Order: sequence, then structure tokens, then C-alpha cells
Amino acid sequence: MTTSLERARAILADFPVVDGHNDLPWALREQVAYDIDARDIAVDQSAHLHTDLARLRAGGVGAQFWSVYVRSDMAGDVAVSATLEQIDCVQQLIERYPADLRRALTAADMEAARTEGRIASLMGAEGGHSIDNSLATLRALHTLGVRYMTLTHNDNIAWADSATDEPGVGGLSPFGHEVVREMNRAGMLVDLSHVAATTMRAALDTSVAPVIFSHSSSRAVCDHPRNIPDDVLERLPANGGVAMATFVPKFVLQAAVDWTAAADDNLRAHGFHHLDTSAEAMKLHGAFEEAHPRPVATVSTVADHLDHMREVAGVDHIGIGGDYDGTAFLPDGLGDVSGYPNLIAELVDRGWSDTDLAKLTWQNAVRVLGAAEDVARDEQARRGPSNATLDQLDG
Amino acid sequence: MRVTVNVTADTVDARSFAMADLQDELTATAEMGELAELSSPTEETPEPSADDALTRARAFLTTHPVADGYCGLPATLRTLPWYDLELGDSSVDTDLPRLRDGGVGALLWTLRLLPGTAHAEHPVTAVLEQLDFAQHVVAQYPEGLRPALSASEACDARAYGRIAVLMGPAPAAAIGESLATLRALHTLGLRVLTLSGTCWATEAGLTRFGEEVVREINRLGVLADLTGASVPTARRVLAVTKAPVILAHSGAHALNSHPDNVPDDLLAALGAAGGVCLVPCSAERTGPELGDVADHLGHVRRVAGPGSVGLCGAYDTGAVHPDGLADVSRYPYLIAELVERGWPESDLAQLTWGNVQRVLRETEFAARAAAPRREPSTARIERLDT
Repeated sequence: MTTSLERARAILADFPVVDGHNDLPWALREQVAYDIDARDIAVDQSAHLHTDLARLRAGGVGAQFWSVYVRSDMAGDVAVSATLEQIDCVQQLIERYPADLRRALTAADMEAARTEGRIASLMGAEGGHSIDNSLATLRALHTLGVRYMTLTHNDNIAWADSATDEPGVGGLSPFGHEVVREMNRAGMLVDLSHVAATTMRAALDTSVAPVIFSHSSSRAVCDHPRNIPDDVLERLPANGGVAMATFVPKFVLQAAVDWTAAADDNLRAHGFHHLDTSAEAMKLHGAFEEAHPRPVATVSTVADHLDHMREVAGVDHIGIGGDYDGTAFLPDGLGDVSGYPNLIAELVDRGWSDTDLAKLTWQNAVRVLGAAEDVARDEQARRGPSNATLDQLDG
Repeated sequence: MRVTVNVTADTVDARSFAMADLQDELTATAEMGELAELSSPTEETPEPSADDALTRARAFLTTHPVADGYCGLPATLRTLPWYDLELGDSSVDTDLPRLRDGGVGALLWTLRLLPGTAHAEHPVTAVLEQLDFAQHVVAQYPEGLRPALSASEACDARAYGRIAVLMGPAPAAAIGESLATLRALHTLGLRVLTLSGTCWATEAGLTRFGEEVVREINRLGVLADLTGASVPTARRVLAVTKAPVILAHSGAHALNSHPDNVPDDLLAALGAAGGVCLVPCSAERTGPELGDVADHLGHVRRVAGPGSVGLCGAYDTGAVHPDGLADVSRYPYLIAELVERGWPESDLAQLTWGNVQRVLRETEFAARAAAPRREPSTARIERLDT
């Protein structure tokens, strides 16, 4: 009698995880200024990082979208240049660990990596601030290997609203729609994590290619603006896209959402910004945590989201996007990138079939990238590159 | 918006249609033109020596075409609502008929920042946009232009009867004080970077970060352009660099005191280091007559050596051009002048094509030599230059 964990590992051996979002590049920037010798992921980095090669292997990861995120308070050239540095970092990692990582630009590259037993390494930009309102810069990112762009991060930008900011342009501005069209033409996936529900709907209206949510869960299960409302999940079958559930407790567990809101209120009540990490702020926060223990999410919490998302979007439109090295706390059992088999085992226990699990872990994400390539070929045959500007369209 | 998209699609179709129609005819015309010119002097010969020189210059350019080191076409095209380089376009100085007439075999397309625009505050984005647009223009004219990333690809373009286009120089500000951004620009096709107008290459010379930039462009195989660099910066670059450098559009300071022109001692040092000074067809930097440009070429050849002098048109950069050198079709007249001044063919061959080829190749060799020895540099300006 095989245990469900053994079955999970067997499934992952054939259909490894495509993870939609991992912030290792930003962690390397913050911790060691891209000195990748100082954080050699060929050896155990569990003291510093959620991610290293051995744990990726143990986790059954077959493809990783490395996030080339830059902070959303960066703008203009600073954001563009910082994004190029992030891309450069991923490139260095791929060159340094050729036996484990394989540069992947297409669905075919992903399949080749799986065949070779290497981890397909793709890139995703996190926020439209990375292109400085320039469609040529968007194309440059694509040329350099970026295969999705989240339209916003935590703050609104000139042409798109974020989930965690006040309503601005009410979804996408005309230039925002043009960005989506140009992404379709370039073959870059439109990522709707982090964006406001109005932006999700607007992008789904315009995009002729499947969209993704690189790391977002279900709002019906846990009411947080970073999650996806059911009406949007219901549109995924027609669009062909995929929603990759994230693990971040403060998005997926209602008690953690409430706890985080109370902790933030506590900081603000004492005159600090809620993201302040100064010594005094941390001390205050420490005292709060002492008095109110942090609620702990589990594998089951994430499985609840996936169950609901499968129900609403369908099994062909779900995936996984852990957000490792992009968040401080993680559910029990999913503490680092070696944890995916625990999640799959939980789904096995809940009666998910092997076929469903193969779609969840591997097939859906690969299909979506391939579909984006097909759309790009069509679009490129039909029209030239757009050089529309924010001023022209949104004047 | 939909209307704009449709117009673009239609124009692209119309252009490719026109090119398809003209393709054979254009080739035929070029060949017939050469024959006609070869036979005409023997029949008429009103001014035997001048015609001889021009005929010789044209014949010479068919085998040793001009590698023009500084052409501002993309930024100029960007400002035009419509252009047609295949049939010729009077709103620019550079188009395919005139490039063919002028015996041009390769162009370096400068990605300059336009003053009075948002470029000043967004040089990284501005240069990414210009690279994107320039590559789009090259792709629009596959019968005339061919992108080249190396010396060999420039030769290949010639072999296919196309004009090679290399990307650069771009201003130093384009790298955003980031070596990773420099690497991204190289990946995207940039091959020349101008080391001036930035906080790491100043009147006082190169900073430590500036030296790291030079080492990194050596490692990548990007040419250093010293136009506009201060003498201390230029000297420091020459001391640090493992590859030859160019002056993409500088004349001789001894003949014209334009601030970007180079003093003789620097020219001599450039020559000794195997670099190339590309003399511009610019009234401001050289002089108002074709003969002035020839004077500068002669001076640079004398001081730096025949292996260190080259040509740049500075066309479509807003420069005022000397009489007789109004556009890219006029190179044969300049070469004819040099023929009359007694330049040997071997020197002319270096001037038009050979020297630029050599510095490109040596830059590539230096990069290949550096690759196994040096990792991509993660040096940061705030750590080196505090």
C-alpha cells in the first residue's frame, strides 16, 4: 500500500511542478547584492533562502518562473534598469548551474527541460512600472526572455489599478489596453495577480491570449483583495488561462488576513507605516505578536483554495505559484520549495485523480505559454509593433 | 486606435509589395550604372583628371565600401510621419538609392538622446526604444539593409549585397550606471558605447566605476567611443582597455578647435593603441568645404597613422555638412579628392572599410580572450565611487 505522499512523488516525477512565482533574484539582490557566490544554491541555503537546488529537486519542481520583480516605489529608468539587473541575475544563475537549470523561452523548451531532467527557468516581471510606460521596453524585456508581466504590483501605475491601492483609472486606461494587446503580440503572458478586480476584467476583455495569475488564490475562500473573485475565475475556461494558487498565509487564511490587518492597525496607531521595518517598529510588532499569536496556515488551507478554484474555473485552469523568497511566512508543511509533495499528497487524499494533478502541476501552465506563442505568431502576421505612448492614448 | 493599427498594416503591405516589384530592377540598374560610368570618360573626357579620379573612386568603393561610423537615421525617422528608404526620401540624408550611389557598405546607427524630450530623464528607456525602432527599420528593408552584430556579419552583409547596420554608439547614460543594464544592451545588439557625458567619465578622468565599465565592455565586445570624452578620460581609457577604441565623430583639433575634436598628442596615442578616429562630414567640426574634410583626414592619417583613420558622415544628426558632401551619396567625391591628393589605394582601403573592420574584430578577439578569465562584473557605482 503506497502512501499518498509516495503517490504524490510518483506523479511529480512525471509531471513536475511549474511554479508561477519565486522571488529568489530579489532575495539575492537584497542579501548579497547579486554576489551569487555568497549564496551558492548548489549547497544548502535553508538558513537564508526558501530556495536552493536540492530543495527544488526534493519538491519536484520542473519549471520555475523566476520573478524579476523590482519594488513598486521605483519608477522610470530606475525601475527599468533594476529589472534588467534582475534579468541579468537569472541569466547568471542559469549559466552557473547548467546541470540543474535550463533557460526556457517557450513551451517546447519547458518540455525539453522535463525530458532532460532539468528545471526550466523562465522569467516573469512583476509590475508595469518595469517598462516605464514604453512598449519598446516591453519588447526588450521579451527579447531578454521575460515571458509574463504582472500588470501592477502593490501600487497603482498610470495605466492600471492595483488590488491593494485606491481605484485610479478604473481597471485599465486606454494605454493599459494597448499594453495588453502588445503583450499578446509579443508573446508575453498577461499576469493578473496583484491587480484590482476591475483590471482583471478589463484585461480579460482585451486579451486574445490566455492570461495567468502567477500567484493568487480564491477570494470566495478567503476575502483578500489579492485573491481572485469567482466571476473572474469563471471566465478562465473561455479565455484558456490559468490561476496559480499561492501559499502566502496572509492572503489564503482568513484568520491570518484579520491578524495582519490588526497588526498593521497597531503599527499605524503608534505612528508607524505598516511596512516599517525599523528597530522600534519591529519591537512594537514583536510585542503585538507576543500578545496575539500569529495564526498558522496549513497544507489544507491551500488545498481548500485549489478545491474551490477547480470547482469554479475547472481543472484545466489552475496551477501553483508559491511566492517563495517573496514572503516571510508560509503554511506548515509548505515552508520551502521542498514542500510541494505535501500539497499534492493532500489533494490525493481529497480524491484528485492523477490526470487532474498532472494538469495542475505541469500541463496547464505549459499549455498556456504555448497558446501565447501561437497568438503572438498570428498577431505579428497581422500588425507591426505598437509605439503608442501614454500621452497619446491617455493624454 | 484601431484606425492607426490598420494604417500601419496597410503601409507595411504596400511597402513590401513595392519592394518585391523593384527588386530585380534595382539590381539591374546598379550594374548598368557602373558600366555606364566606366565607359563615359573615354568618350567625353572634358576634365580628364577629375573624372578619372571620380571614376577610380567609384570603382574602388565597389570593392572597399565605406563603413560610416556615425549615422543618425533612426532618431530622425522616428520624427517623420512617413518614410520610404527603398525608393528614396528627401526628408533624410540617408536612403537606399543614395547609400548605393555613395558606395556605403556598413553604417553605425547612433542611438542619440534627443534634447528637449523626456530622453534626458529616461536615457535607459530612450535607448531601448531607439534600439527597438532601429531594428524594426532594418527589418523593414531586408533587400537593402542587414543587421550585423560582428565584423564577420558586416562582411556577410556585403557578400549578400546588403548594407550592414550595427547598433551604436549609444551615450554612456544609456547604461543607467549599471553593468547589468550594459549587458542587457549588448544582448539586445548594442555594439558601441560613448564614454562621455556621465558622472563616471568626467573632466577629471575615469572613476573606478568608469574603469570597471571599460573592463566590462572589453569582456562583452562592445567598442568604446571616446567622442566628447575629456583628455584625462581618453588617456585613462587607453591605459585600461584591452581592445582598440574609436572616436566615432571627431576631427583634428589642430585644424578646427571644436571641443569634440582631438589634439595631436591624443591622436598619436590613439594610433599607437590601434584605435581609429572617424572624421565627420560636418561643417562645424571639420570645415565648410569638402577639401576641409580631406585636410582633416590627411592630418589624422599623418599623426595617428593610416591604420587609424576612418569616415563618418554624421548624416541625419542635425549637423550642417560641407559643400559637396550633402548626403551619403557623396562619398565618391570625397574619395576622389583623396585620390587626387595622392592617397595610395592601400591607405584608402583602410580608410573606407579596413580600419573599422579591424577594430571590430580586435574587440571581438579581446572579448573572447577575457571571457574565460572574468565573470560578469557585479560592481556597483555606489560601492566603487563613494
